[in-house]
Amino acid sequence: MKYMLLFIKNEEAVLDEADQRAHYAAIDEWFAEIGRDGKIRGGEELQPSNTATTIRFQDGRPLVTDGPFMESKENVAGFVTIDVADLDEAIAIAKKWPPKDQAVEIRPVLSHDAMPHHPAG
Amino acid sequence: MVSDPTVEAMNAVFRAEVGPMCGSLVRITGDFDLAEDLVQDAVVVALERWPIDGVPERPAAWLLQTARRRAIDRLRRDSTYRAKLQLLTNGWAPDVRSDPDDRLRLIFTCCHPALAREAQVALTLRAVMGMTTSQIAHAFLVSEATMAQRIVRAKRKIVGAHIPYRVPGADELPERLAEVLASLYIVFNEGYLGSGPDVSTSRDLCVDALWLCGLVARMLPEEPEVLALLALMRLHESRRATRFDASGALVLLRDQDRTRWDHAAIAEAGALLEQARRLGRPGAYWLQAAIAACHAEAPTFDDTDWAQILALYGALVRLNPGPVVRLNRAIALEHVAGPVPAMEELDALRAELDGYHLYWATRAELLRRFGRLDEAADADRRAIELTDNPSERALLEARLEPTVIRAIGANSN
Repeated sequence: MKYMLLFIKNEEAVLDEADQRAHYAAIDEWFAEIGRDGKIRGGEELQPSNTATTIRFQDGRPLVTDGPFMESKENVAGFVTIDVADLDEAIAIAKKWPPKDQAVEIRPVLSHDAMPHHPAG
Repeated sequence: MVSDPTVEAMNAVFRAEVGPMCGSLVRITGDFDLAEDLVQDAVVVALERWPIDGVPERPAAWLLQTARRRAIDRLRRDSTYRAKLQLLTNGWAPDVRSDPDDRLRLIFTCCHPALAREAQVALTLRAVMGMTTSQIAHAFLVSEATMAQRIVRAKRKIVGAHIPYRVPGADELPERLAEVLASLYIVFNEGYLGSGPDVSTSRDLCVDALWLCGLVARMLPEEPEVLALLALMRLHESRRATRFDASGALVLLRDQDRTRWDHAAIAEAGALLEQARRLGRPGAYWLQAAIAACHAEAPTFDDTDWAQILALYGALVRLNPGPVVRLNRAIALEHVAGPVPAMEELDALRAELDGYHLYWATRAELLRRFGRLDEAADADRRAIELTDNPSERALLEARLEPTVIRAIGANSN
């Protein structure tokens, strides 16, 4: 079962250089641990939301606007997809996410194999 | 509570049979949503038929057969369930209930922390206790549509997010068990506080909660907080008959007829607490139960061991420093150290508890001790405004009148 972990952080918080080094060292360790068991299916860290561009559709016509979809202090700062047995395992992994000033949203990935229209047997 | 013997017999059957049946069907089909729906269907049919036909001799087999027939109807209509029908035909014998852990797995799945508390409570009552959506909605004073939606959403999440069907491992158990116990205590309190003297519902939530807590205690006999919660429920229950007067007003602890308390239940709770104490450090339920035991074991209100109660509240505040616990501690403090320090504590809590009726009711009591009758009457009025419970209102209104009369007398002198 795949889950996407969305890392949500307060973009107003700024780390000094030493803290930043420790922050990345801890995250590297987390990736190494989860990655060792082959559970990671890719992920990225994102640039701040002030670099975001959002396309909305008005009457079907694309409208390009500056900024994220939702204006908020707290934004998705990165994501990783993991492949694990169940929600409990995903929760256990997310609980170990090192930056304790962030939140982790766990979203199950929709599997098209399990869709009702899929022929059974 | 007055209830029909057939209703009681049916409820006993549901309590005993629905959990194991639902649990084993979840295991066999691997589909929580389907299994739970089938069992619920069977319960609804039973509620229609049994009052007319009587409770069948082998109710478990009857429920299973009915669920099975329903399953076949449903599976015929829906081709995606065909593979599951195969599983049901093969694995679904009357002796299906072979794994005693099924029911525990079911409880932990229903009370998973990824589900909202109110959904945990509703799912547990439906899947484990065999309550219908309508009964649960009635008990929690929401519409049946709202409750149905809450249950559907929760089940969709269990399936969609792949919430596992298992008893958590030792490292997770304390946290996960706390979720289960919190849900059970909500069920109990809903029955205990929500019911007035005249309310007769078809299910007594206190009985259900006690039964379920007893079951968890049997399945996890080494967990002290389960035993402590069971003791706490028994202690509340032991005084239940004396909580209302003939007119339906709430009777305060001090005025209750202690000879009518259930002393066998009190002794049993004491033994449970002792057993829990030997198993581990006192937790929040243990402390609350120990406080309730101090009250229950005092032969008269004046014999209450307030110093002990104050010490227990002190420990509880350290564990759980919420304002309501501090309010209760302040009441004990009044009995040990007098009204002045108690009032200081109440003043400190005012901002946090401004919207809580028991804060104002407690404040009114204290103000009467100081002879500040006008303020006492105002505090009681505020408490009345803040509660919807008719029995509590009756008590508050009954004491407001003499306070006002005394206040008028005092003011005119």
